[in-house]
Amino acid sequence: MKIFNLILLYFFLIWPVQADTIYELTKIPNLEIYNIKTDNKLRYLYAKKPFTIGIDNNINCYQPSKQDLDKKYQIIEKNLNRYSKNFLKKINLKYIVLCKDLSISGINTAGIPDNKMKTLILDIKFNEKYFERVIHHEVFHIINDSFKDIFNEKTWSNFNPIKFNYAECSTCTKKLGLDTYSKPNGFITEYSQSTASEDMAEVFSHLMNGNMPKKIDPILEKKIKFIRMNILKIDKNFIL
Amino acid sequence: MIEKIKPSTSEKIIFSFILILGLLCLTTFFLLKDKCLFIKNYDPQKINFKDPSNIAILNVECGNVIIELYPDISPNGVKRFKALTQAGAYNNIAFHRVIKDKLVQAGDLEFGKKGNIDYGKIGTGKSGLGTINSEVDKEFDYIRGSVGLARSLKYNTEDSQFFIILEDKPLYEGEYTPIGKVIYGIEVLEKIKYLDKSEYVLRPDFINFLKMLK
Repeated sequence: MKIFNLILLYFFLIWPVQADTIYELTKIPNLEIYNIKTDNKLRYLYAKKPFTIGIDNNINCYQPSKQDLDKKYQIIEKNLNRYSKNFLKKINLKYIVLCKDLSISGINTAGIPDNKMKTLILDIKFNEKYFERVIHHEVFHIINDSFKDIFNEKTWSNFNPIKFNYAECSTCTKKLGLDTYSKPNGFITEYSQSTASEDMAEVFSHLMNGNMPKKIDPILEKKIKFIRMNILKIDKNFIL
Repeated sequence: MIEKIKPSTSEKIIFSFILILGLLCLTTFFLLKDKCLFIKNYDPQKINFKDPSNIAILNVECGNVIIELYPDISPNGVKRFKALTQAGAYNNIAFHRVIKDKLVQAGDLEFGKKGNIDYGKIGTGKSGLGTINSEVDKEFDYIRGSVGLARSLKYNTEDSQFFIILEDKPLYEGEYTPIGKVIYGIEVLEKIKYLDKSEYVLRPDFINFLKMLK
């Protein structure tokens, strides 16, 4: 056992210090630059190897193939180009991490936003049907986290019928459907009913994606107005 | 009577070889000890600068590093750097964080002073002047030789610590307040003491002095 420990110590001692600028800035290992020359100053990074992060190492993601990366990058960039440099700075978003099979505590997820680290991790293999909309959904979480006071969850919850209650968390419910309701009843998708934050993100992403249901009920109408009005408080030039 | 023996040709060759080898060993020993050998030391007095008021001279063991400051890009950052430089605050301050061929960092005025280094706290010291706001909005190419103000994980926490990069770091744009660029003597910084196993240096090299040209 002593010999094993000595060998381990030897390897530790001869291991040179590696200065990884991307890790230094994002605290995510195994990333490489994909594209940093963008008009809105977003920096696109990708996983060159799988990475594990999180307090309990509960967030995992894997390296995508070059083909998938190139294909999905076009879609992601097109959608994220709708956010100006100034807006992104205000909401604190700078790094877009592209990887595949993103999961948190074993549950697959489309994206993980972290406004403190200015980072949004996106799963490029997430369901094609909702892919573009989900990008805006995740961006909204960054917006929401940066402007909690503006997007007040209590004010938002008051739009709902008195008897309605959201779940404790977005994964504490089985209401995970992302299909847009043709006849909404205050909620635009099933997932909207999970939490106030997810509800807001769903409304915002539908507005960004331009696929609102034809019939909009009075509650949803109020929610749409709330999102539109408050986004303009962050950036009066924002086009929604 | 002792008979005089003449050395053979092969003996002469071996003797000459040993002699040359000995000389080489001696010279190499002395030459290798001098880490500043072949490093050019720039004399700022012999160089013409467009704006001498924005030229700072950083003197370290191997010579001068001449830095051009950019007040147009980061007025507050440059103002702070100049104020501390003119006060002589950076003199005898350690290069406490050095990553070989990548970056050197100095400027911890509280815990990095020669003779009073606190290895437990180095890198966290303050200048006493308070923090200043980050100036990261203007475009700046973080190429080799760029000088920036260090900060904590949060913006607007810049104080006295600065870094100089020894390789291009485009991701630093928008992250760190740029205050200038090394225009002469970057190779001097490549000789700053580093450790293979740690970014933080034990028994580090020091800034001899940092002053403004005018």
